[in-house]
Amino acid sequence: MSSKPNLDTGGSFTHPLYQTLERLPGVSLGLASLDDLLAWGLTNSLWVFPMATSCCGIELMAAAASRIDLDRMGTIVRATPRQADVMVVAGTITVKMAPRVLKLWEQMPEPKWCIAMGSCAISGDFYRNLYSVIPGIDTVIPVDVYVPGCPPNPEALMHGLLRLQEKVQAIRRGEKVVRDPNPELIAITKPSVPRVCERDRDGDLSREQADQALRVTADQMCSPIDVPYAATTPQKPVFAPDFAGLLTELGIADAPAEGPPCVPVARHYELTRRLKDLGYRQLVSIVASHWPAGLGRKGKDEAEPEHFEVTYLLRTVGKGSRVATWTVRLVVDETIPTIVPLFAGADWQEREQYDLVGVRFEGHPDLRRLMMAENWVGHPLRRDYPIDTPCAPWR
Amino acid sequence: MLQTLQVERRVDPHLSIDRYDPEAELLLLHMGPQHPATHGVFRMDLYLDGEIVVKAVPYVGYLHRSVEKLCEKLTYSQVTPIVDKNDYVSPMTNEQAINMAFEKLLGIEVPRRARWMRLVFAELQRIASHLLWLGTFAMDLGGALGGGSTVFIHSFREREMIMDLFEEISGARFHYNTHTIGGNRHDIPAGWAGRVKHALDVIGARIGEYEAMSLHNRIFVQRTRGVGVIDSSLALELGLTGPMLRACGVDHDLRRDAPFHAYDEVPVNVAVAHGGDCLARAEVRFAELRESVRLVRATIDSIPEGSINGGKPIKLPNSIKIPAGQTYVGIETPRGELGTYVIADGSANPYRLKIRPPSLHALSALPYMLPGGTVSDALAILGSVDPIMGEADR
Repeated sequence: MSSKPNLDTGGSFTHPLYQTLERLPGVSLGLASLDDLLAWGLTNSLWVFPMATSCCGIELMAAAASRIDLDRMGTIVRATPRQADVMVVAGTITVKMAPRVLKLWEQMPEPKWCIAMGSCAISGDFYRNLYSVIPGIDTVIPVDVYVPGCPPNPEALMHGLLRLQEKVQAIRRGEKVVRDPNPELIAITKPSVPRVCERDRDGDLSREQADQALRVTADQMCSPIDVPYAATTPQKPVFAPDFAGLLTELGIADAPAEGPPCVPVARHYELTRRLKDLGYRQLVSIVASHWPAGLGRKGKDEAEPEHFEVTYLLRTVGKGSRVATWTVRLVVDETIPTIVPLFAGADWQEREQYDLVGVRFEGHPDLRRLMMAENWVGHPLRRDYPIDTPCAPWR
Repeated sequence: MLQTLQVERRVDPHLSIDRYDPEAELLLLHMGPQHPATHGVFRMDLYLDGEIVVKAVPYVGYLHRSVEKLCEKLTYSQVTPIVDKNDYVSPMTNEQAINMAFEKLLGIEVPRRARWMRLVFAELQRIASHLLWLGTFAMDLGGALGGGSTVFIHSFREREMIMDLFEEISGARFHYNTHTIGGNRHDIPAGWAGRVKHALDVIGARIGEYEAMSLHNRIFVQRTRGVGVIDSSLALELGLTGPMLRACGVDHDLRRDAPFHAYDEVPVNVAVAHGGDCLARAEVRFAELRESVRLVRATIDSIPEGSINGGKPIKLPNSIKIPAGQTYVGIETPRGELGTYVIADGSANPYRLKIRPPSLHALSALPYMLPGGTVSDALAILGSVDPIMGEADR
């Protein structure tokens, strides 16, 4: 896809009908009133294509529903780009979604307009600097009206549509409508949150220095002067008798206070199977975490090599439902046997953990990425993965 | 013919498409990621033999907003407004799930008043969420129900009443940010209980109306009965929860089975249906609507007096540090079990935070449910799953 914004020529357009009529003899006299007619028609039948991805989409639905009722402005929601005049981008646009939005925009017939609804579509909001989100839809397609809010109320969207109607009429009258990006606006919408260092963006600092700066800002924000909650000593987890009995039977040591019991890789599959027979029939979740060298459950620990921890959660069904939790510790490049033959739901869970953390599950029937695109490099939830990893053309 | 469709053998979602009848001319239909019936940005590849789906391959991740990575960089009190955006149809329960996990690690006792308020919020949110499901599901079933948007217009009318109630509490229509570690941020305003009861009088009376429009509508029943059948053992393996699981005849509801908030003081009737199909899921959600109305009516007047936050007065909420430890908390949201697994390392930021989304598990059941049905059945099934991509992709 092209990375350059497809800004068209100052918002002016010529309708094919208009061009045909202009060539006919004598018609030019009536064109002034035809202009008004066209403007009136265009203004009062702005059909909306909902590019609704997330929360703002629900408010867009609410705006189209009973209370606000956009229909009375001639604004009907059309689900196909080919019948629409206005694309309302409502919600966060991710790197994976942006090319699709551009494709849909290109499928819309001219004349067409775009409303960016909500802070995510305008600037990316607090997802702005994250690896998978683009900083505003105006980096992909030209935007006519920005409706701020998180999410904007349906009334705000209605106001945005009214402003768009004014704009359409102004264009029709031949008035200059500014569509160029405002540099001052861009300056103040630069990241204000402390999680990504400004200077890093300008290339003055190395990645390590930037991370250091990030840490300092976060620490300053979280001043250690006032600790409202006294640090409690971690309680030893209490297991249901059947789970504790099974652990003893398999010769697995009791749980440390800082987390669930550690199960050797070799005994992991057997434990899962036995638990399923015991009545833990519902798969709750699989959580993988990455621990760089020198970090362990108790905090800094020089003896700890780089490793992964994969935590499994199973649940019993019915009254007095209880959860069994255990952890398998893996060194780098070690694989863990899949539990897909026992729990079909582990399929997507293992794919997700492979995608985001990079743990390999041996014997998985289809170990592909789940969240990120197939050609994505790296595993985002590793601790050493920068939160604002460069991703052309956005960062 | 479809009414007698039985799932006899489990579908193998990993069977290569070459292994299906190589003589048949299968058609590949891409559905999504932008499609009005996919409830957000969800894509699936349907392999069709005529109009019958023989294989379905879902793709998620089009709304992967890297919430888990973002949370690692934020302090514990900054996480709440972020997770609001996950399940954007029921933000209240998101906030509750995440703060309950932090409270468990810190060992904070939440005051009784705050727990009762959370119960009322959760149940009102369930009504709003199920009303939105009903509207969109009826739209998915298309022209069958009075042009499609009749039920939608009706159910959104009542949903706005609950939005107004929540707006009174927190000032926002959604993304409330009203729960904190140790309790709630905003107290109930004067006269709120009366307005809640008034809203329930309207909504409670109209549930029967919705039922007449959907469950008692012959076309609705024909479009949903026997469609998208899933059996209970597969549902449990897949980690399905909430109405999806209870529609398979599994009597499991965390509100009753592992009580949180004040559910140990208020008995909950669990709705179970046995068909395992789209109709059963709709029946369960209708029963839950009625049950939620009953629960709010029963609790709204007896919310105890007292403090709404169990923490000490906080000057700098960002300085909350949680001692090293790991915990899991799961609560019952309108879509099922929303869990939070937190790994704390003693600092002011979570070391790893995993959100267990019910929608992702529900979507992973699609490759098992879709084959055998038609393309129009696929839309009915997707609507009955009620996925929210914000929490599935996070």
